[in-house]
Amino acid sequence: MAAVQDGQHNLEVEKDIKTEITNDGSGNINANSSSPGSTSSGGKSKSPAGSGEDQQTLLAVLQFLKRNKLTESVDILRREAGLSADADDSPVSESAGAGSGGVPNVGADGGDANSLLSRVSIATPVAPPATAPPKVVAASGGEDQPDVNVVLSAYSQQGDPVMYPLYYNGLKKFIESVLDCHRAELSQVFYPLFVHMYLELVYNNHENEAKQFFEKFSGDQECYYEEDLRILSSMSKKEHMKGNETMLDFRTSKFVLRISRDSYQLLKRHLQERQNNQIWNIIQEHLYIDIFDGMPRSKSQIDAMSGSLAGEGKRDANKAKVFYGLLKEPEIEVPLDDEDEEAENEEGKPKKKKPKKDSMGSKSKKQDPNAPQQTRIPLPELKDSDKLDKIMNMKEATKKIRLGPDNLPSICFYSFLNAYQGLTAVDFTDDSSLIAGGFADSTVRVWSVTPKKLRRVKSAADLSNIDKESDDVLERIMDEKTASESKILYGHSGPVYGISFSPDRNYLLSSSEDGTVRLWSLQTFTCLVGYKGHNYPVWDTQFSPYGYYFISGGHDRVARLWATDHYQPLRMFAGHLADITCTRFHPNANYVATGSADRTIRLWDVLTGNCVRILTGHKGPIHSLAFSPNGKFMASGATDSRVLLWDVGHGLMVGELKGHTDTIYALKFSRDGEILASGSMDNTVKLWDTLKAFDDVELDDFTAATGHIHLPENSQELLLGTYMTKSTPVIHLHFTRRNLLLAAGAYNP
Amino acid sequence: MASPKTVPKDAQVMIQILKDMGITEYEPRVINQMLEFTYRYVTTIIEDAKIYATHAKKNIVDADDIRLAIQCRMDQSFTSPPPRDFLLEVARQKNQTPLPLIKPYTGPRLPPDRYCLTAPNYRLKSIQKKVSSSAGRITVPRLSIGAVSSRPSTPTLGTPSVQSVTTKVGTPVSLSGQRFSVQIPSSQTTASKSSTPSTPMVQNVLINPSLIGSKKILITTNMVSQNSASESLKRKHEDDDDYDAL
Repeated sequence: MAAVQDGQHNLEVEKDIKTEITNDGSGNINANSSSPGSTSSGGKSKSPAGSGEDQQTLLAVLQFLKRNKLTESVDILRREAGLSADADDSPVSESAGAGSGGVPNVGADGGDANSLLSRVSIATPVAPPATAPPKVVAASGGEDQPDVNVVLSAYSQQGDPVMYPLYYNGLKKFIESVLDCHRAELSQVFYPLFVHMYLELVYNNHENEAKQFFEKFSGDQECYYEEDLRILSSMSKKEHMKGNETMLDFRTSKFVLRISRDSYQLLKRHLQERQNNQIWNIIQEHLYIDIFDGMPRSKSQIDAMSGSLAGEGKRDANKAKVFYGLLKEPEIEVPLDDEDEEAENEEGKPKKKKPKKDSMGSKSKKQDPNAPQQTRIPLPELKDSDKLDKIMNMKEATKKIRLGPDNLPSICFYSFLNAYQGLTAVDFTDDSSLIAGGFADSTVRVWSVTPKKLRRVKSAADLSNIDKESDDVLERIMDEKTASESKILYGHSGPVYGISFSPDRNYLLSSSEDGTVRLWSLQTFTCLVGYKGHNYPVWDTQFSPYGYYFISGGHDRVARLWATDHYQPLRMFAGHLADITCTRFHPNANYVATGSADRTIRLWDVLTGNCVRILTGHKGPIHSLAFSPNGKFMASGATDSRVLLWDVGHGLMVGELKGHTDTIYALKFSRDGEILASGSMDNTVKLWDTLKAFDDVELDDFTAATGHIHLPENSQELLLGTYMTKSTPVIHLHFTRRNLLLAAGAYNP
Repeated sequence: MASPKTVPKDAQVMIQILKDMGITEYEPRVINQMLEFTYRYVTTIIEDAKIYATHAKKNIVDADDIRLAIQCRMDQSFTSPPPRDFLLEVARQKNQTPLPLIKPYTGPRLPPDRYCLTAPNYRLKSIQKKVSSSAGRITVPRLSIGAVSSRPSTPTLGTPSVQSVTTKVGTPVSLSGQRFSVQIPSSQTTASKSSTPSTPMVQNVLINPSLIGSKKILITTNMVSQNSASESLKRKHEDDDDYDAL
């Protein structure tokens, strides 16, 4: 038994020097206090690790490599095998960190490996303890251990769950003792560290310790992480984690923190000098610390940007060039003889016959450097009907009311009665002639807003009989018998969550919980195509501003770009950690913005599929997005009842609009971008002055580089008006071409 | 809220669970729905576990059986979306292909017909009736609208037995047919004329989303009368001039 005694002796030696415990799970609790005698032999029978023999052998190999000081191989193996950095690290890091120390540390380290070896060599006499410290040989006695592999794996996986609260407490005390200016920044570490430690404990099946850890420290976290903590508290076993993709992703992805260099040095020095290497290991493994040179940020600045599930965006994630300008309008010759003359005669005012295209073409003679090339992505060419539409558009645009703080738009509200809380999506056509509503009973209904009724195209036999050369052929193809105020479209097998009209008013898209996106024809009022690809609820869909392309985003955390004539998506935008709740095209159709339940907004490039911007700052899932008409700015609304304004080109937050008291489901900029309207579940529509909001922003190089904007608290000044409805949450907003605001919602008494 | 005395224990437990998960506002029916779901789920699992236990020739159901039952059920009903690295890999591959160019002037831009829902999902069966020379009799073919997946969707327009005309336009594809236009000879043809409906026209503007099992089937079609000897009273004006080819 001499060998065993030696082993035990070494155990004792280690304990004096380091706090790490080096035995298996059963002996853990009492190992700290009582003698190790009970641990080494007796406890072996209980094997807590249950991840299979492969895992155990893998860990045994890992230990072998560590023992032989093959640190690089250790890293490679660990990375490839995807093992968690638990106590695996401790021997390595201690040897590294303590390497600079004196002999006793080395001795302890040797002793540590020694005791480990004692178990290795005892059970597997074939394993050659080649270059191990000399004591090993003595330790390789003939004691039979029931299952050393199990022991080994237990050792390496745990990393000592009982010590976690102590580590965390130690860090907490340290951070509370630093200078004020650093404290805010270093406090960012608490939340990710807490979550990762908790998940480690859960993943390694230490349920009780996990619960205690949670109870002790969950109250310290920031208030805006409350939802996440609640979800975490419901996960106490490894199996629970397996079902939750979001948490698994969180565990494998790196939480990004932005800390100034000074604060970072403080933290690093503290963690490396003491025996808090455990925390240092976790930090290295799971956190990505983006260091910047400059003043440490204040608490309010940090609070503004934090809140997302993956920390903030890395600086280089927001560095790609984004072409936020608009595409050149094609030059359309307005036929001045017929149409203009009619208009003029009506109004009785003689107008100069200036070709309209001058006003369009002149200002964009040279390429806007911020605008994408015309051919960057293929776009459908304009058909004659499109050109006619554009002419109508321009004519209406001349009658547009100029809005401003002293000239607020009138609001026309469309209430859906008797919807029984089943109204889930609404959309208007661009010329505001049709409304479509998506319902929880899986129907889509289309109404005509104008007195003109909805008609179906005649059947094929009838169509062959009409006079194709007549002037009003477009009227004749419609079947008068089918005229009605509204049409109902059946086809989905689940609630319809997203609706979008095509710009040419020929098609309607609807996305539903059944995982499909359907294309409906508005001429025959029938379903044409079902696009299958998401196998999970699709929360939002939108046509591109030029038609032909559309995007959809859903529960599978991926947004897809489709074209109407391809049955498979053209692009897949993957990267979000949680469901994508809102998808919007940029006005130049080259970029797609997606808002997600992981509280970030990502901007994707349609051409390459890359994520070009990650915008954090919301504290709840994002439900509405809107681009300003000039393409430079974006507004987003979430369940945290705030509207945030972003500069797309720089990827920075430029404004925060507080005022709503509930989730914001609708956001829309006016036609010239002067006013932002927001509609929310608190039954109000609020109007905000965007010209003022964007004027106030001063972006110099420094802020652009570091991304620190000091947001002025001017929400009250920017609020131009609040309009309340009678218990009708506002789901959708739309500015007509003349800048009349239309709003829609379901009356909910 | 009913007094605690009258609320059964299960419901109280459910209320507590909802409270723990942070759900404070909910309709009272939610508790019943949750209880029903729980009951159904638990009985399914236990039944499955019993089957596994008997398969393993064990007398009692133990934890392993339950675990296996839960795992199988989880893979079947409660699937979760694919993991992130898989998605990133798939996205990377998909995003490498350049965006396809758009062909000009192609009418409605839709995928190939087999991926659309624009084919008829019915097939017309012929009625075996003797052809009579009397005009004015309309044989309305019976529409057999059934599970589309189980039969080819090429409509076979049969005329009365004398002339067995089956116009198989397009190849029989199981789920979605080709778009076709079939012309049926108009009222004038008599029984003797063997109508070779090489160009019969079905007046249907098809449609339906029946591929996935929809709720309703919209048939915007006029009934096809195909008795070659008959006149269709419902037939709309059909110019005979157009069918000179016949």
